Amino acid sequence: MNERSKSGAEPETGLRRLVHDVSELALGDRTSFSQGRLTVSRSLASELPSDPALAEIRLSCVSPGESARIVGALDAVQPCTKGPGGAGVFPGFIGPALPPGRGETHVLRGAAVLAAGYLPRAQEAVIDMSGPVAALSPLGATHNLVIEFERASDAPWDEVEAAVRRAVLRVAVQVADAALDSEPDAVEELADPAATAPDGRARVGVVTNLQTQGKFKDVFVYGRSLSAGLPTVISPNELDDGAVVSGQYGHPALKNPTLLHQTHPVVAAVRESEELWLAALVLCPEPVEQGAKELVSAHAARLCASLHLDAAIVTKEGGGNADADVSLKMDRLEEEGIAAVGIFGEMAGRDGTGPSLVVPPSRATAMVSAGNYDERLSLPQCERALGRQEIALLDRPATDELELPAAAIYCALNPLGWGGLTCHEEAA
Amino acid sequence: MKIVHYINQFFAGIGGEEAAGAGPELREGAVGPGKRLDALLGDEHQIVATAVCGDDHASGKPEFASALVEQAREAGAELLVAGPAFTSGRYGLACARIVSAAAEAGLPALAAMHADNPGLAEAAGAPVIESGATAREMRPSLERLAAATVKLAAGEELTAEDGRTGPVARTNRMADRSAAERAVALLLRRLGGDREATEIPLPNFDHVTPAAPIADPADALVALLTEGGFVPAGNPDRLESARASKWIRHSLEGRDSVEEGEFESVHGGFSTQWANADPNRILPLDVARELEREGAIGGLHAEYFATTGNGTTVADARRFGVEWAAELHQADIQAAILTAT
Repeated sequence: MNERSKSGAEPETGLRRLVHDVSELALGDRTSFSQGRLTVSRSLASELPSDPALAEIRLSCVSPGESARIVGALDAVQPCTKGPGGAGVFPGFIGPALPPGRGETHVLRGAAVLAAGYLPRAQEAVIDMSGPVAALSPLGATHNLVIEFERASDAPWDEVEAAVRRAVLRVAVQVADAALDSEPDAVEELADPAATAPDGRARVGVVTNLQTQGKFKDVFVYGRSLSAGLPTVISPNELDDGAVVSGQYGHPALKNPTLLHQTHPVVAAVRESEELWLAALVLCPEPVEQGAKELVSAHAARLCASLHLDAAIVTKEGGGNADADVSLKMDRLEEEGIAAVGIFGEMAGRDGTGPSLVVPPSRATAMVSAGNYDERLSLPQCERALGRQEIALLDRPATDELELPAAAIYCALNPLGWGGLTCHEEAA
Repeated sequence: MKIVHYINQFFAGIGGEEAAGAGPELREGAVGPGKRLDALLGDEHQIVATAVCGDDHASGKPEFASALVEQAREAGAELLVAGPAFTSGRYGLACARIVSAAAEAGLPALAAMHADNPGLAEAAGAPVIESGATAREMRPSLERLAAATVKLAAGEELTAEDGRTGPVARTNRMADRSAAERAVALLLRRLGGDREATEIPLPNFDHVTPAAPIADPADALVALLTEGGFVPAGNPDRLESARASKWIRHSLEGRDSVEEGEFESVHGGFSTQWANADPNRILPLDVARELEREGAIGGLHAEYFATTGNGTTVADARRFGVEWAAELHQADIQAAILTAT
């Protein structure tokens, strides 16, 4: 503050989001963006820096309404850039490991770049591009540039995973770069959280747990795992620029891909509210050990108290033990006098009659249901499969008519609050 | 109306745990608690036969149910009533399986058990009437069951007023707003002073009373069990890495330990790297064999049981537990080590 007043210049805070709506996606001779049509060069995959862990990368396009299914969906990213080569987006991977979230960012809304294929520990995630299940996944409504890959023989799987992530992020930046000179469809100004809320609005924190459970189940902040760390506060505007990148492939329905961190639904909903003020984003690790869960939860609540928050919404990633991370935080927040709401996916069994939560809160009560993970869904036959040609879970061709639990549908119960699923009660 | 009543080996007078392996049979007329039930049903209804099966048999061989239902139909049954099973897990599972098999065969059926009985989740929609927790509450339990049976025989729907118990199902539906938007709305209610508002009522968890310690481990046969997704290399049974719907068993005979490359974990909830480098970390066969050689334990069961405890439904987990208990009873095992991951 002092430095700023000495210089006399207005501090440049906040982020200007330049939104380009994508309504069409196709492969073509060169990468370009015009009038909502994103064309991706057929040779883009071969022009990527070669990676010793990958033998081959293939690109294909799939759009909403097509009779197509993506099987083995891994991470998905919203294309974004701040200038040629990204100019600071995806810090720690593409840009230098420094906090982003200021200046201008071009985003291609309605498009996604995602990887699909086999990785160890990755539970098979399914996206339908049409039919009744398409509406359960955010990727069912986006124009998707799908990256399929072949492992180089004998490459260690963790190196394959890192190589796939680099490829996805590079492609996401390259296709966004094509829109740098286009007139945006919308310009959105995002203020940085201010010290005081206007009009006496309640100061709300968004407390987001990142699953940090080892290889193939990790999430990165500025390119680093948060696994050994404590909760940290960043500007929510940094999310738009890819400060949080997912490398977590468990629990397809309860997964938070990079794209949903970039467009964090709870952050967006709090920004939209005329009665609440978005005061902080608190990122927390989601450790496996109970003592660490208790420490992280108590520490997060103290951080929220030191930020003088009136209320907080707590989100998680994954199932089972991840419930404890939400419940403990809700309880500790309420003890600090901070009203707490948590978003949970229910695990109530196939018929919905089992206990919904693995670890419920003991003090807090306000819980939002993102639906029951175990309920079965019918997926119709489709014409084309991307990612994997068979459903390993059922040992069937991927294009078959299938019955799958909601748990297998990519982001169907997204714990960042993207989806519309919830539960209602009826006698069994 | 002609009614067939299902009871277990204990209430049929065959015997206790030592007779739990008894196979299914149909006896003429009312037996044991069926006699009192028959009297309570009045003159219009009659228990024409009693279906009996040992609890271990019924837990391990679910096909007992359809066989008994067929025999009951041959005996002229127009309705099937099972229990009361109180809180007895294997008996409750048996009652649930037989009423579910009857309902599937188009025969009206109802069971009686306590609301905490693991069998409740297996009744597949057939009505279950709440009973007391133990046989000390036999009389009021039979009175309630008899009244419900008369009502069901009259073709009426059974409700909570008749003592119908059963889980309430939480079913998916699409809300008109996203979970994030609903979280904001709930937060506004919470800030407005409403401490009750929630979309998820707090679940009730049941409590497990541990079995009494065994008198002398040196006399005990011990089984090794695990929920660690522990399978022979290549996973020939295709045990799921998450949301397991089944459990598997494999022989440990002739093995002193479980070796890298021969067994592995397919559990999807943790990094299996260290488990696969030394599978004894999940199934501690190496040290168990040492204890066996030293005489610290009487012996090891010839096979291990395994499932995957990762997003497994409580209903499935309870069923696995009841089935494992029945199997271990049958094999005369006194203690089990269940490694959790």
